[in-house]
Amino acid sequence: MTLRVTRRQFFKLGAAGMATSSMAMMGFAPEPTVASIRHFKLTGAKITRSNCTYCSVGCGVLIYSRGDAAINNIDDIYHIEGDPDHPVSRGSLCPKGSGLLDYIRSESRLRYPMVREPGSDEWQRITWDDALSRIARHMKDDRDANFVTENQAGHTVNHWTTTGFLAASASSNETAYLTHKMVRSLGMVAFDNQARV
Amino acid sequence: MNHAYGNAPMGVMDPPAVVLPDPGHFAVRAQRLHALSERIEPLGAFLAFMAQLSRAQQVVLERHQPQWLPEPDAFALALKHGMPPLGVEALRGDVDFHTEFAALLDALDLAIGEAQRPLLAELRKMPRSGIDQLATRVLTGDAGLPSQRGLMPLVAAGLQVAWLRLALRLPAPPQRPPPEARAICPCCGSLPVASVIQIDQIRSGVRYLQCGLCATQWYLERAKCSVCDQTGKLDYLSLEDETGEPLLPVQAETCGDCHTYLKIVPREFDAQAEPLADDLASLALDLLLAEKGEYRRSGYNPFLWVGNEG
Repeated sequence: MTLRVTRRQFFKLGAAGMATSSMAMMGFAPEPTVASIRHFKLTGAKITRSNCTYCSVGCGVLIYSRGDAAINNIDDIYHIEGDPDHPVSRGSLCPKGSGLLDYIRSESRLRYPMVREPGSDEWQRITWDDALSRIARHMKDDRDANFVTENQAGHTVNHWTTTGFLAASASSNETAYLTHKMVRSLGMVAFDNQARV
Repeated sequence: MNHAYGNAPMGVMDPPAVVLPDPGHFAVRAQRLHALSERIEPLGAFLAFMAQLSRAQQVVLERHQPQWLPEPDAFALALKHGMPPLGVEALRGDVDFHTEFAALLDALDLAIGEAQRPLLAELRKMPRSGIDQLATRVLTGDAGLPSQRGLMPLVAAGLQVAWLRLALRLPAPPQRPPPEARAICPCCGSLPVASVIQIDQIRSGVRYLQCGLCATQWYLERAKCSVCDQTGKLDYLSLEDETGEPLLPVQAETCGDCHTYLKIVPREFDAQAEPLADDLASLALDLLLAEKGEYRRSGYNPFLWVGNEG
């Protein structure tokens, strides 16, 4: 463990201390300032580090939100800017990234899983459990029907060519690794990350 | 970046880790303090005095010749090895603080109001040892007894001149301090007065801590507690008046992990903002936070001293 170099002094700069503060001792009355705080209210903001989701560059963003973190209300987000500390993007954002706030507030934004049944022209909301079960079911059925263990020459190939996999853009190395492991272990050959928008 | 189609605007590529103060820093601060004195009515006279004090500091910085100044290459070794070149403890004995301070009192003489004149007289008749004691208190952050507390901002102003003068003589800014030493100034080892979020092109949106003594600025990542390095429970609290308008471009960066705060000044809201000046002018924010009682203040502002007897 490294010892932190610090000479910090902490104190409460409160009304009680003002009477003997240097300000009062220099002949400046602190009372008007003490009284003035009644006219103000404290407002709070939070800043959260995140990544832009649009493309594989993964620019850093700072997301400003109002109020209490306990109320995780997405409508509270009021400003997004590039993160100047991010080593990749150094605070810059492309026009799409600069419009992230509109993306968050967009009325047509997808907020939950939806399904359009075969033959239907309507989207219906389903639960995450339903969505994942249905996808797994489709994948299993397709794999059982189309899995190829040997090619025409009799070589073992163990591949599955009838289903593809498209993963998200703003993913870390670790996400990419897990995606690769999962997809390849199923024998799937066609997969890509959404890296070009 | 130049290419056949014209020039692309440069963004933040590699913001400087440490920025030495500008030779005109006291003048900029004086101007800001003066503007704030007209805006923040309850602190008007106080801020106007501090503006005069900063103006006097600028005069001394420009016109006074101290009896001792380091050779330009005196700090090469410290800079090379990442040590604070202007460490307060190391240089106290060498720095010609007393003539700087006497010059400051002379420069202030013409501008000072009647109510504050006794402070000047008291400091002038004080022996050197007494001034030295006050200087030690200023440099160690000890508010001392109320009877002498009113003298401390003036002594602090003298020390600021002496150390800013030293900082201006450095051949190059120090390197970025190692992670365990980012709470103190990489030039002189003093504490920061506040953070500032810059707006210049090469460091737009980048946060710096500004030294309360020598006004050096050093880089620290945004949205991170300057005291305990935690990032999880930060809030940015500011004052709003009855109409919902912010009082000043000042927020308290409060940390729920170590229960302290340091003020942060985003210049995007007001390009003229200056950390020390805006910290003083936003005293109401400190008072309101003290009333809430959850956070203690960590900023070191040598123009305002509060004891613990209150």
